[in-house]
Parts: sequence; structure tokens; C-alpha cells
Amino acid sequence: MLFLKKYNKYKHPYITASIIILIFLVFLSLFAPALTDYSPVRNNARNRLQPPSREHLLGTDQFGRDIFTRILYGIRTSMQVGLAVVLLTVIFGGVVGVAAGYYSQIDRVVMRILDAMMAFPGIIIAISLAAIWGAGKLNIILALSFAYFPKMARIVRSSVISIKDLDYVDSARAAGAKDSRIIVKYILKNSASPIMVQATFNFALAILDEAALSFLGVGIMPPAPSLGAMVTDARTYMVVAPWMILAPGIMIVLAVLSLNLLGDGLRDLLDPHLKNTFQK
Amino acid sequence: MRKEIKITSIVLLVLVFSLLLSGSVLAQEEDRYGGTLNAALQMSVAHLDSDNSTDSMITAMMNHVYEGLFEFDKNLKVHPYLAQSYQVSENGLVYEVKLRENVMMHNGQTMNADDVVASFKRWLELNNGGKLVAPHFDQVEKIDQFNVRFTFNDPYAPFLNILASPVSNQKFVVRAEEVIDEFGTDVIDRHVGTGPYKYEEWVPDQKLVLTRFEDYTPSPRESSFFAGKRIPYLDKIVFNFIPDAQVRVSGVQTGQFHFAEEVPRDQYQIFEMDENIKNEIIYPDRMSMLIFNSSEAPFDNKYARRAIAYALDFEELGYAMIGDPQFWRLESALHEKGNPWHVPDAGEGIYGVYDPEKAKELLDRAGYDGQPLVILSGQDNQMERQGAIAIQDQLEKIGIEVELQLFDRPTVVEKRSKPDGWHMHLSPFIKVVPDPQIHQGWTGTNKWITNWDSKDSRQMDQIFAEMLREVNYEQRYKIVERMQAELWDSVPYFNILDYSRLHIRRTELKNFQAGWQPFFWNTYLE
Repeated sequence: MLFLKKYNKYKHPYITASIIILIFLVFLSLFAPALTDYSPVRNNARNRLQPPSREHLLGTDQFGRDIFTRILYGIRTSMQVGLAVVLLTVIFGGVVGVAAGYYSQIDRVVMRILDAMMAFPGIIIAISLAAIWGAGKLNIILALSFAYFPKMARIVRSSVISIKDLDYVDSARAAGAKDSRIIVKYILKNSASPIMVQATFNFALAILDEAALSFLGVGIMPPAPSLGAMVTDARTYMVVAPWMILAPGIMIVLAVLSLNLLGDGLRDLLDPHLKNTFQK
Repeated sequence: MRKEIKITSIVLLVLVFSLLLSGSVLAQEEDRYGGTLNAALQMSVAHLDSDNSTDSMITAMMNHVYEGLFEFDKNLKVHPYLAQSYQVSENGLVYEVKLRENVMMHNGQTMNADDVVASFKRWLELNNGGKLVAPHFDQVEKIDQFNVRFTFNDPYAPFLNILASPVSNQKFVVRAEEVIDEFGTDVIDRHVGTGPYKYEEWVPDQKLVLTRFEDYTPSPRESSFFAGKRIPYLDKIVFNFIPDAQVRVSGVQTGQFHFAEEVPRDQYQIFEMDENIKNEIIYPDRMSMLIFNSSEAPFDNKYARRAIAYALDFEELGYAMIGDPQFWRLESALHEKGNPWHVPDAGEGIYGVYDPEKAKELLDRAGYDGQPLVILSGQDNQMERQGAIAIQDQLEKIGIEVELQLFDRPTVVEKRSKPDGWHMHLSPFIKVVPDPQIHQGWTGTNKWITNWDSKDSRQMDQIFAEMLREVNYEQRYKIVERMQAELWDSVPYFNILDYSRLHIRRTELKNFQAGWQPFFWNTYLE
């Protein structure tokens, strides 16, 4: 793998830091049930707004639910949404981008439509879709994917266009390779790095926007835990129970920061023009 | 002779002292006048014509501009206000009301029977409360300049209570006849009343400004909440509409506002520590109601509805939906303790009895097939949102599958009005209702959103029909007891608990009394 090779060569500090944080977060979300004795949704309201203690590491919320537990499951939700959105945008954006980049007749129509879609900020499209379809995890995933895929398609398209006229593609075509073989074997493989970078940023953006949608009340439905919804709930209690807002807030920051760092690092590593801009 | 001089001098001294003393009292009284009060209210209103709306925020503000023939005191007892006295005929059909004389209106004329008759006719036609009265009402007539006669077709016991009702703008207020001639049934935007404050300016969604009415004629009776003497100490009252609770709070903290309505109860301790701010807990004047959709299985069966009452731990719900126990209390009756219609043993044996086993047994008996139950609730109000989440949790704990549907208010109102698609709905009710008849609008055959149509619902209709006709308090109270018993037997809805609201004010605002609607006569700024 090109990436691993390059990483071994340069040891980019952004990537090291972000991967450590990401591994930590993935560990928390994967092993959530093993890390806590509490349920993320069961109430115990007589114990509401308890400060952090031995029983409740990060205190309890207004329903007496353990905040540590809710954070574990909240990260899980964030990761699920982020991963699903990234998969969907890569698939849809990839298909549309390759089609538009490779076949110029399709390009004219499709890219104008995508241009129109990109005229709106992604979060606005996502909010409107979530409002129309209703809240819920699946709807959030679809809404966010729909909002992000035009950009992905554009990036794939430009990379396809720059590659498709290169000599090795021409020689493959002269050797009689079919379009499908050229696209998969020569073009996609060589446009992997911008897709990877964009996918990483999308992952971070999806986590942030899921939190934003849940914060606005059109995201994950209560009582299911979501970091954004936890921040909304905590606003009222910010002064009396600051632990309620700090913990999910910090988690959102960690997740988004680590993914953005990873994206930046990947771009530095994989972009041939930028490879000398940082020193080992 | 010497003795007489001594006595005379003592008398003189006493006289001089008392004069001085009264002078200083008067001066103190004089000091209270002046200043502009800035209040932060949570919602704006569409217009200021109370007869044309059910938004009780209108009455809350316009109480300063308009006054009723009758008004409630602190203990929810009705007193004549613009009325001097009244008489009810033996058969309960005729009310003769004598008006106070020389009460000035904002247009410089004195209030008379013509104003009352014109206002009453409009109230009867447009107002929600008036529409309740209208089917039983015959006519209103002027006897002379200060006497009015109200005649009914059949006895209507709650009449005076509805005239002064604090609920949803039902109160009857006296407006100038000229204004009613000018506007008819249209929304009034020129306001001429008898109140201590005059309408000055209204900026929609922003503020309402009222100024003192210099020729105000206060009632001679003792002051108590809305009844009795009102003194307009403040020069000006500005009601600001601030929907965000945190903005209302910081406005009071910084001194921009003297008063803020409905602030987060969980910040009580913070206000307590601030020496410039005083907490005003409003007597539990709201109750949280769980309403069943009685046309949809399993709640078309009363045993299933009863089961839910046994399945819920009300105390735990109190902590989850309201929080600090000083803001809520368990109460099984529709009318609070201290209200003349309070039934102390309502719901005995079912209210507050947490018995999941019995709940399951009753659900089996009702033939519940384990389908998920839909709770429909609003997400903007803390009680509705947190209550629904807590109820879902408790039902799931005993193995009942629940689907939670939280929406914004307009969506909830639309969805709950449909006969299917929901099973349970959580809604706040106003607790301070002066008359049990008011519940007729919510309970009975197909009333409100309950879709309740059975033998039990028709029995409830019968109880309310009897209540309407019964004028004697003792007899009527017995009917109210039967109504409460029926309500807890067939359970079309039930009250979980009563809860308070929290207002805050600056300490420089003196003599404030925490009524069910905020009012600022008799208050002054120091």
C-alpha cells in the first residue's frame, strides 16, 4: 500500500496523533456495552443531575442517566452515521463523478444539476430533508449523504478528466481494453487519494452535522443517545450541571479534530505536488 | 383649670404628632409613584382583542387596560368589580347587576349600562367563554343607566365564574360602546377600557407599552390579586416579548428587565444566590395530563387505560419531567387543594398506586396484543418532552413496547386531532379553573381529542348536564365528586401531577404578587 509506505517514510505527526485518538474513539464505541454497567436509555430520575462520582464517572443527566454510558453510545451513533454517510457518498459520488468525467455527454447535464445543488449549503439541504422525511438515524444518513455527494462527484470527475487523457490510458485503449476495465483498473485506482482525503473530511463533517441536526431536534430521536442532542439538553443545565455539556462537547471536538487532522495529513502524504512541503 | 390645660396640651400634642405621622405616610405613598417597568414575557400575541382569541397571554397583559364586572381574588373567590352588587332570582334564571357609578373610561366618559350591554353582546357572540353561555342565555337588557339584567332560558350555575374566568381569555371585560360600534366583530385595535393603564403603543412581536391612566377610579374593596383596589404606581409598563428563556434570564440579571416570566426551574439555586433577584414560584397552576385515544385498541377498553395508571411511578415521573420536588406535587383531583371544588379522595386506590403486576393483569384482561403504543408529545415544552421520554422508559421497563413521537407544537396539534395514529398524548392543563363545568369541554362523548364514545362517556355527559343545572353549592359539589369518581373509573385521561412555574424579578420591584397571570398594579419601583 502506497499510504503505509509513505507513512513509514515520513511519520506525519498529524496522522499519528489523529490515528491514536481515532483508535481510542473506535475502541470506546465498539466496546461500549463492556465498559459500563448502565443502560444509555433507562431512567433513574431520583438520581438526577448528580455530579461526577465513583458510580457515575461523568455524573448523571436530568433523567438520572449515566452520562459516561450515554457518551459511549453517543460516539457509537456518531461513528455509525459518519461511516454510513462516507460509504454512501463515495458510492454515489464515485458513480456520478466517473460517469460525468468519462462521458462528456453526461457531464454537461449532470454537472449542471450538481452545480445547482452545490449552490445550497449542505447543512441547509440536510435540515430540509430531515424535516420532510422526519427524524431518525436512517433519514439522517440519507439526508447527509444527499447533501455531500455533489462535492464528492465533482472531485472524482475532475480527477477522472485529468487522468483519462494520460498516455497510459490511451495505450490501454489502443490495446483494446473496454471502458469498464479502463475505469476500474487505470482511472479509479489513480484517483484514490483525492477520494480518500475527501472521504475523511466528509466523515468529520457528517459527525458534526449529525450533532447539529440532533441539536436542532431533527436528528436522532430521543431517548437514543446522540452527542448533539446531549448538548441541547445540557444547555438549560449549563450553570447548575456543567458536566452535562462539557463531556459530549469535548467528545464532538475530539472526533472532528482527529478526522480533520487525518484528512490534512493524508492530503500532505498523498499529493505529489505537496510532498516536499513538510519536513520529516 | 390647670388640669384642663394639661389635657388640652396632651390632646394637641397627639394631634400634631398624628398629623406629622400621616404626612410622612402620605409622603411614603407619594414616593412609590413613578418609573417605567420592563417585563419580559415569553410569547408574543397576534392581536390584543381577547374576545377574538383563546390565547390567554392577551388577557394577562390587557388586564391592566380592561376590567371585568367580576374578578377573582387570591383564593379563587369571585367578587364584584365593576359591578357594585348583584342579585340572582330564586329560580336561578335572572341576574340583576348594579354597576359602580362614576367609573371613568379612557375616552373621558363614565362607564354605564350601555357599555356593559354592548360588550356583553359581543362577548356572547365571539368569546370562547361567551359561546359556552350562549345556548342557555336569553337576553341582556339595560334597566337604567347603572343597572343591567341578564336572563337565562335554563339555570346556568357557572355564570359568574365564567364571567371572571382566568382561563383562555374567557373573562368578560367592559369596553366602551363607541369602540364596539366601530369594530363590531372585527379585531379591535383601539382600546378604551376602565383599567389603571391605557394602551399606548404596540409593536408586533416586540413590545406592548401601557401608560398610567391619570383619572383611574379604583375599586373601594380590599385588594387581593385581581379583585379589589388597584393602584397604578408605575408611570409606564413595557411588556417585551422574548421567546428565548436564557435571554429573559440574562435580561433580569443585567437589570434590563425587572421581571421575567417562566424561566428554567433548574436555575432556581443560581437566582437564589443573586441578591438582586427574587424567585417567584407560582402556586402549582399547571397539571400534566395523560390523554388516551379511546377509539384505538387497546385503549378502546377502559381496563387498558386503567392499567397505564398502575404501570407508572408518578413520583419518579415528577423528578424526570419537572425536577426539583419544590416545583411539583402529586394531586389526584382536577381542582387543587384550597379550591372550593377540590375532591380530596379522588382516584383513591388507583392514583399513585404503582403496581406493574396489576397493570399487566389489566392489559391481559383488555386483550392487549403487544403492539407498540405510540406516545405523541411536543418537544418544545420541558414537561411534555421529558414526561414523554420518562413514560416511555417506565412502560418499556415492564415490557410494553413504546414508540415515541416528538414534534413541534403545530404538528402535534394536527396529529392528535386525528382519530388514529396515536395512543397516548401528554399535555399541560391549566389547574386554576374556577368552575368544574369547564371540564365539560374536554371530557364526555367525543370531547376534545379523546374519541371517547361508550356507555361510560354517555354517563359522563349526564353528570355534566346535571352539574349545569344545579345552583346549590352542596348539591353541586356532590355531582363534582361523582364526576371525579367516574373519571378515575373509566379514565379517558388522568392527571399525573401538578407543577409550578418559576418567574423572577429584580428586588427593586416591590409589592409583587405571584398570580396565575402576572400583574403590575399595586407594584412600585424603589
